[in-house]
Amino acid sequence: MTLVILLLGLGVGVLVGLLGIGGGVVLVPAMVYLLGMDQHLAQGTSLFILLPPIGLGALREYWKQGQVDLRAGILCAIGMLVGAYGGSLVALPLASRHLKGLFGCFLVVSAILLWRKPELEDKPVAAKGETAGG
Amino acid sequence: MGKSVERDAGIFAVACLCGIASGMFGIGGGVLLVPLLALLYGFSQHRAQGTSLVALIPPTGVLALIAYAREDFVSWRTGLLLIPGVFLGGIGGGRLAEKLPPERMRQIFAGILFALGTWQAFSAWRR
Repeated sequence: MTLVILLLGLGVGVLVGLLGIGGGVVLVPAMVYLLGMDQHLAQGTSLFILLPPIGLGALREYWKQGQVDLRAGILCAIGMLVGAYGGSLVALPLASRHLKGLFGCFLVVSAILLWRKPELEDKPVAAKGETAGG
Repeated sequence: MGKSVERDAGIFAVACLCGIASGMFGIGGGVLLVPLLALLYGFSQHRAQGTSLVALIPPTGVLALIAYAREDFVSWRTGLLLIPGVFLGGIGGGRLAEKLPPERMRQIFAGILFALGTWQAFSAWRR
């Protein structure tokens, strides 16, 4: 079991660096399904993992490439600190089952947002998500 | 000048929204922040990801964590075991991100999330 947990951490870490996310979105379902945790427990544990700066190594790689907007990042950190507390007040009284269902819906919404291509370039919007070209 | 204040305020509002999701679902919030920075503020994919990582460095979830810990909803041991892997994996992933086409990666990940989310919502509310 300990080995499974260690490997799970490594796998999630790769996603952290690859996608610039915290990893909780993968960690929570993984802890629910692989480790058999309750939804609330998985979420609380995920918040604990996000406490140390686990993304620091990944950030260094992005920094070297000049791909960081420090000002926006700091603003986001402050906003998220405040928002996260509010969010926890909503989640804690919910029944575990409903929280699990809501989490699923949240994943679907994030997936749609992630999939959508930013329309900054004045390219006509493709009807289908086909990007595989020549 | 006014434009930049407006932009800052907007980004702050977006971050608050991501924070609410973070506390509600025990996640970092980057999964929402990255696409929103790209869609609303025209960040390139790599820049959105790098900026999201900045936002994840300070312990933004600390207030939420305290609230969960008070209800005994934290498995400290599992968390401690996961942290080193996530950190090391993050360095590897960051290197990999420079080499792989980000568009493709993002869409594969979105596909996985979509399937996972549908399944999870379904299994929670089936009965």
